Amino acid sequence: MIDPAQILIDAVSVGGLYALTALGIGLIFSVMRLANFAHAELVTVAAYMLFAFSGSPVAVAILVAIAAAVLLALATERIAFRPLRGADSATLLISSFAVSMFLQKLLVFLVGSRPKALDPLPALSRTVSIGSLQVSALKLVTIVVCLTLLAALTAFLKWTRFGLQMRASAENFTMSRLLGVRANAVIAIAFGLSGLLAAVVAVLFAAQSGFVQPRFGVQIVIIAFVATVIGGLGNLFGAAVGGFFVGVVTILLQAFLPAELRPFREAFLFVIVIAILLFRPQGLFPARNLKERV
Amino acid sequence: MKRLGKAITMSLAALGCAIAPSHAADPVKVGFVMSYSGWFQPIDASSINGALLAIKEINAKGGLLGSQIEVVKFDNKSEPPLGADGAVEVIGKGAKAILFPSDFDFGAPGAFIAQQSNVVSLSGASDPKFGVTGIGPYAYSISNAAQSQGALLAEWAYKEKGWRSSYVLLDNTISFTKSLCGSFSKRWKELAGDAALAGEDTFLNGDPSVSAQVTRITSLSAKPDFVVLCSYAPGGPSAIRQLRAAGIDQPILTGESMDGDYWAGTVPNLSNFFVANYGSTYGDDPDASVNDFFKRYEAEYGQKSDTSYSIRGYSLFQAWAKAVDKAGSFDADKVSAALDSFTKEPLAIGPTTYTPQLHIQTTRPMTILQSQGGKFSAVGKFAPETVHLD
Repeated sequence: MIDPAQILIDAVSVGGLYALTALGIGLIFSVMRLANFAHAELVTVAAYMLFAFSGSPVAVAILVAIAAAVLLALATERIAFRPLRGADSATLLISSFAVSMFLQKLLVFLVGSRPKALDPLPALSRTVSIGSLQVSALKLVTIVVCLTLLAALTAFLKWTRFGLQMRASAENFTMSRLLGVRANAVIAIAFGLSGLLAAVVAVLFAAQSGFVQPRFGVQIVIIAFVATVIGGLGNLFGAAVGGFFVGVVTILLQAFLPAELRPFREAFLFVIVIAILLFRPQGLFPARNLKERV
Repeated sequence: MKRLGKAITMSLAALGCAIAPSHAADPVKVGFVMSYSGWFQPIDASSINGALLAIKEINAKGGLLGSQIEVVKFDNKSEPPLGADGAVEVIGKGAKAILFPSDFDFGAPGAFIAQQSNVVSLSGASDPKFGVTGIGPYAYSISNAAQSQGALLAEWAYKEKGWRSSYVLLDNTISFTKSLCGSFSKRWKELAGDAALAGEDTFLNGDPSVSAQVTRITSLSAKPDFVVLCSYAPGGPSAIRQLRAAGIDQPILTGESMDGDYWAGTVPNLSNFFVANYGSTYGDDPDASVNDFFKRYEAEYGQKSDTSYSIRGYSLFQAWAKAVDKAGSFDADKVSAALDSFTKEPLAIGPTTYTPQLHIQTTRPMTILQSQGGKFSAVGKFAPETVHLD
């Protein structure tokens, strides 16, 4: 019999990673209506930095990874997305695909497609006993980091000047510009934050999987996109909830589906997603500005 | 990549030098329709190097039927459908035999063209379909079928190790892993009984986490004696990492898809890990000729073969050359008839048998390697007795 507490820890640690990734995507979508598929490469590049600096102290490697992801996020915004600002959202989507494919192929070209092994947080590859439970230390740290970052991000958005400006921009970009919010600064901060979140996801995800390869980030970002859509595109709270939701549902399906149905786990997950979108086409928590006005 | 390119250029240059203008016969061409770039490139690289080494050695001994062998390259860019274009191109240039990637899906598009054009296809695909049933009578695989590897793992665990309870964790992404775990389970139940399979679970190679699968194993009332993991890098090593992090220290068994130690850093101090492959690259294979091959490989390329796949590439051309010699012709019909008469033909990879019906190996021995404390070494050579191909 599987211990429900064990399943809960699995679900929250997996869901937390999805939530952080979904938030990174949601931040960008909320300020500029860009579904940024290149978010995957932010995660990937950060993980490659961890690999490149695996000989250095953990803190140095993590700082370099964060710096690299933030810089790359800012660079993609400046080079690829800023010239398209105000363009049709389909155009933005396609250009984000282009950036994503370009970076992936560049990585194959530079470092090869073979996975590279890394172990960024060796101290956490052991189990901790909590009562009768044997829990992986990494899972506990993942849960703590995810919850802390979610709280910090909420505080930033609620109580800081830039946070206020970002929320205002998310609600009505044109109006907030008219009121003196500087678009370039707000969008740059959103990209910088999404880079930071991507780097944190890269550290936790790489510590769990133990390797990096050019499609490393895609695995998690694809699912995070689903989470963002379920939560409600453009709504940050929704993105976080969507992330946890997908993580929890995946784990529950894997744990409780009969063996012969388990290979079709994804089909069940997406049936649930479709069902949610049928009843709530704008997601569970629709962004206010995206609602159709009557 | 650069080094590989250089190695190929150098060996081609060497081939060029070896052909003295005074030699009477024209060179004979063979095609390499392989993944020289893209994600499949690292998998094909050592097969290509092995094959080039075989050709170099054959040429040094005077070539085949008096002709030097010349390689015509085509890069399928890790896109399976391009293999068909490649086959058309190299056949147009006169290739008499073509080396295709070691995977049915990658090799088949080109091999179909080769079959229609009366050209022999050579591959390390571990799927019996790469042969008479799936492609046609000119397609040959040098590998042990996935089903043979699954049976080998079951028999080895039962007879050599005396283990009595197993757990199967299947990466449901590719057909090789499905055949491997499927044939393991079938043979294991025959040997140890249905109850000896403590449980089965599946995951996908790209799954970000296998937490739920790991928890299912840790929740078993009695721990299994060992776990069979049918997967490949990077998902497979990542699954081992997550199993070990959760305190599951049971032996893990797998087949050729997790050959090589390039991924071993994913699981620090990898222990209790056993893999069936085509020969130890660590100089301790029970078969001296295997050790000798890997020594020659290292001398030729200045680095160790990173997987045992290189001996497949080598043995494919060794087999083809022997068949050409025996047939006295490059004609596909005659070469194929000569290949079909191979009965335990001694090749670098081991005694190899082809019949007009079956162009893949079932009961040829494989080497089982182990990793303990992050160090790989050969355990021994073992052959399965009973193999079910379907």
